[in-house]
Amino acid sequence: MTLTTTTTPGDTTQPVSPGRAAARRRRRRIRPGGRAAYAYVAPFFIVFAAFSLYPWINTAWVSLHDVRLTTYNKQKWVGFANYHNLFTNDFFWNAFKNTITIGIISTVPQLCMALGIAHLLNYRLRGRTFFRISLLMPYATSLAAATVIFVQLFNKDTGFINWFLHGIFRLPLIDWQNNKWASQIAVSSIVTWRWTGYNALIYLAAMQTIDNTLYEAAAIDGASRWKQFLHVTIPGIRPTIIFTIIVSTIGATQLFGEPLLYEPQGLPIGGTGRQYQTLGLLMYEQGWTNDRLGLASATAWTMFVIIVIAVLINLWLARRREKWTGSRNVIPVTAIERQEAAT
Amino acid sequence: MTATTVEARRAAPAQRKRNAKGHVGGRSMKAGWVTYLIIAIVTLVSVWPLYYTIVMSSHTNAELNAKTPPLLPTGSVWHNIKEALNTAPMTQGLINSVIVSTCVTIGTVAFCTLAGFAFAKLRFRFSAALLAFTIGTMMVPMQMGIIPLYMLMAKWHLVGHLQSVILPTLVTAFGVFFMRQYIATAVPDELVEAAFVDGASTFRIFLAVVVPAARPAMAVLAMLTFLMSWNDFFWPIIALNSQNPTVQVAFQGLAKGYAPQQSIIMAGILYGTIPVLIVFALLGRQIVGGIMQGAIKG
Amino acid sequence: MRHSYTRAVRMAGVVAAAALLAAACSSSKKASSNGGGTSGGGSPTNTLASQCGTSDPITLTVGLFGTFGFKEAGLYNAYHQLCPNITIKEDDVEQSADYWTKLKTRLASGSGLDDVQGIEIGFVADVEQNHADQFVNFSSLPETAQLKSTFYDWKWNLATSHDGKTVGLGTDIGPEAICYRSDLYKQAGLPYQPDQVAAKLTTWNDFINFGKQYEASSSKEANSHFVDSAASIFSTAVYQGNEAYNKADGTPDVENSDGVKNAWQYATQAAQAKITAGLQQFSDQWNKAFQSGAFATIACPAWMAGYIKGQAGDAYKGKWNIAPVLPGGATNWGGSWVGVPTSAKHKEAGIKFVEWVTAPAQQETWFTKVGNFPSSKTADQSPSIQNHMDTYFSNAPSGKIFTDIAGKMKIPPIGLYDTQIQNAFTTQLTNVETRGTSPEKAFNDALKAIQQVTG
Repeated sequence: MTLTTTTTPGDTTQPVSPGRAAARRRRRRIRPGGRAAYAYVAPFFIVFAAFSLYPWINTAWVSLHDVRLTTYNKQKWVGFANYHNLFTNDFFWNAFKNTITIGIISTVPQLCMALGIAHLLNYRLRGRTFFRISLLMPYATSLAAATVIFVQLFNKDTGFINWFLHGIFRLPLIDWQNNKWASQIAVSSIVTWRWTGYNALIYLAAMQTIDNTLYEAAAIDGASRWKQFLHVTIPGIRPTIIFTIIVSTIGATQLFGEPLLYEPQGLPIGGTGRQYQTLGLLMYEQGWTNDRLGLASATAWTMFVIIVIAVLINLWLARRREKWTGSRNVIPVTAIERQEAAT
Repeated sequence: MTATTVEARRAAPAQRKRNAKGHVGGRSMKAGWVTYLIIAIVTLVSVWPLYYTIVMSSHTNAELNAKTPPLLPTGSVWHNIKEALNTAPMTQGLINSVIVSTCVTIGTVAFCTLAGFAFAKLRFRFSAALLAFTIGTMMVPMQMGIIPLYMLMAKWHLVGHLQSVILPTLVTAFGVFFMRQYIATAVPDELVEAAFVDGASTFRIFLAVVVPAARPAMAVLAMLTFLMSWNDFFWPIIALNSQNPTVQVAFQGLAKGYAPQQSIIMAGILYGTIPVLIVFALLGRQIVGGIMQGAIKG
Repeated sequence: MRHSYTRAVRMAGVVAAAALLAAACSSSKKASSNGGGTSGGGSPTNTLASQCGTSDPITLTVGLFGTFGFKEAGLYNAYHQLCPNITIKEDDVEQSADYWTKLKTRLASGSGLDDVQGIEIGFVADVEQNHADQFVNFSSLPETAQLKSTFYDWKWNLATSHDGKTVGLGTDIGPEAICYRSDLYKQAGLPYQPDQVAAKLTTWNDFINFGKQYEASSSKEANSHFVDSAASIFSTAVYQGNEAYNKADGTPDVENSDGVKNAWQYATQAAQAKITAGLQQFSDQWNKAFQSGAFATIACPAWMAGYIKGQAGDAYKGKWNIAPVLPGGATNWGGSWVGVPTSAKHKEAGIKFVEWVTAPAQQETWFTKVGNFPSSKTADQSPSIQNHMDTYFSNAPSGKIFTDIAGKMKIPPIGLYDTQIQNAFTTQLTNVETRGTSPEKAFNDALKAIQQVTG
């Protein structure tokens, strides 16, 4: 595919009559599009409409009723009583606060580390493929098996982590189950372990789109590796970073697998004092353990609103951050700009 | 002089430009020992639980409960795997999981790349609203939707069949969003416009311009989708039976009696996980290594 | 085009005729082979049909959760010998909670149910209150009286609704005794022979006093406590009153229940006297404690014996023993039934299988092979159970011990939310033990959690 260096509308090699040129101009749009575009997005929406839309709407409908799975066909209309129950409920607010704290602890370091690891894996390494595959090992490992190991690691008396901290650093024995912050850090570390490689791989793929000459240009200008990372890598994959922020926010708000399995008895209560019960766990407890589908559906839709707000906040923060650091896309990343910069 | 420098650069990629400080740039940078150390630690931490699964599958419950738990696997792994195969329909689960995950992966990558391309590069009415809607669908926890979904599947007589597990996850908003973000960066607008001006149809643009550029992302999406589909258990347990299980459903048959042997369960889980790893290891060179050398620009 | 249409019709006709012919031939073949058979009694097909519910070759689907052990006891093979036309396929979900979610979903949609479905004590109340119409009523069969006579009354009644519909036949039960580390008792200078121990643990007050003695002993094992958790005291004692978590009509009632009041009192007393190890049952730490000696005593249903053996291993053989007593009176923990959904594809075959697998002879088999304790009082009286000695538990006559307790049991009314209510209480008891929460606050927190369940 050859690159044309300039494209200006109406640029043709053959002289044409004014009428024809005008007609061609009218037919031609700056970008392709039109009705054909709908065909491209149709598969998603068809599958979604068939399998997700109906359950979606049904969940909303159920949230306005008092429903139990065991008496599913005897639904009682209660209007917004479920939502009212939620907002006057200590358990909900506790789970809400926990979700925020666990969300931040498990997402922010994780994404930073994922960025760093991806950048490192982008170098010329021996055994690059092996390391990149091993990034997915945590995600491929059965969560149940992994959590057994983490529970043992974090055991107050016999766990490796306390042996390390207490034995080497003389810290007091931390109760990683009962202590609120310790338990949340423990759960967050499981989440971080599991998802860092996942996000690193996504960043790594995105980094392939950054032209190597940019790095070389930055190096010539005297930029250290760290500076290159800040000013070439990160701006170069901005859309992907935004993507992972949104997806991680959604995942953090819906978090339930890791805290469920971290609980010693496998109950969805997030510890005997509900110290690490997230909204996802609360919804699970309400819907499946307590068989209160209406209440759980109300929690699900409340979580939706929370996620939307959280995502918007995160996006806003991301915009602000770039305003402060001034690292708006000054590095030309599109091919055209590169070409123009090179000539 | 410029031309020869450029050609020299192209002809000898191993020759790297160094600045005064000796720093080099980007992907052609050689990794230092610090990098190796960090990566080694990360790899160790990533792989440890999988290793310990092997250890757990070669020791009885009593051995695992001992004061100093074992750290090395023994030969009983093979015996326990055989036990696991006798206890639960693991092989059938494996085959079914391969079928399900492959179908879901192919469907997801194909449909999400198409949709991602449309959102990123095509102009059509309501595209912004539809994109927002698509992303929004990711934000509703679908756990509660399992019951109406089951009733739907029951009505269509798909319960117990693999289609009931394949169809709902055939396309994901995650995939659409991911491909859209990637294609937005990886494929320059001007390239698309130029091709369009040259008279290529939208589909030809898709095939000839977008797909080659998006291959790293398609590879990553394929791997992540495959794994996600492989690990999915909540819906498959409800929709399928032990007669026609995926591997996660087959695991359910491993815990027998009031005092289940962890070793058999872990051995079964190993049997269900290792094939995935082998596939990734074999295809890894293809998918990760080859393509991620970097899409050549210009 | 018309030619090909006619051809198609003709082909279809030929195929249909051939099919009809084949069907007629096969059935007539059966008839002819039966015709020359025995003079008295039915033809083999008829015996098969009456014994197995059908003479057609079918696959019987049996939906169970982890604890049944039918396959391990060889019962499916045995049944196949008896009914060669029936192949049994088991449909498993490991955790009974996940199994119940799946069963509820299928019951709600009315489709996808197996021919036989297991029912656990945790949700049998729900099944008989809300789904009795969706299960075959074992109280309405011609053989009901004969079936009923083989089971313990309380076991039969637990699966029977208020209007007399019995949703399943009992498989195993969990009569409780006390399992203890005789070596640790001996080391602490306390009586350690089963009968001596039984004499010391007749009431919960006795139990707590004995525990205090254990804790106070100067020679006891370091880091060892008397009992594993206050929760185990609570879960046992709560079923020893007139009410547990429900009124007689099955509606939840926690605050006025004598069972809850007494159990809470004993449990918090034990917690505050620090005779418990503060462990959560079935957690990783609790599993390890069977070897580490972190606790020396545990309320022990019959199935717990096998569990202890698995977790502690051969090194502790002979160190554990069973005392033929349960403080406060005989009660039960756990147990299941098997029922047949009315929408089952092979209902008759399902009924026959359920009746067979819960018959005394089969219950004996699975006790011997797998260790699940029979709910059939007939089976319990058999020599193989009466004379059973558990070599792991210092040759304790476990068969006799548990049978005696099973015969004395009175079970208060069960209800829809028992499992969740119990978890609410036991969770709070852990807080009393490990976080120093006051019993009053813990009780109120439990009530708040229960409110979320009952609505």
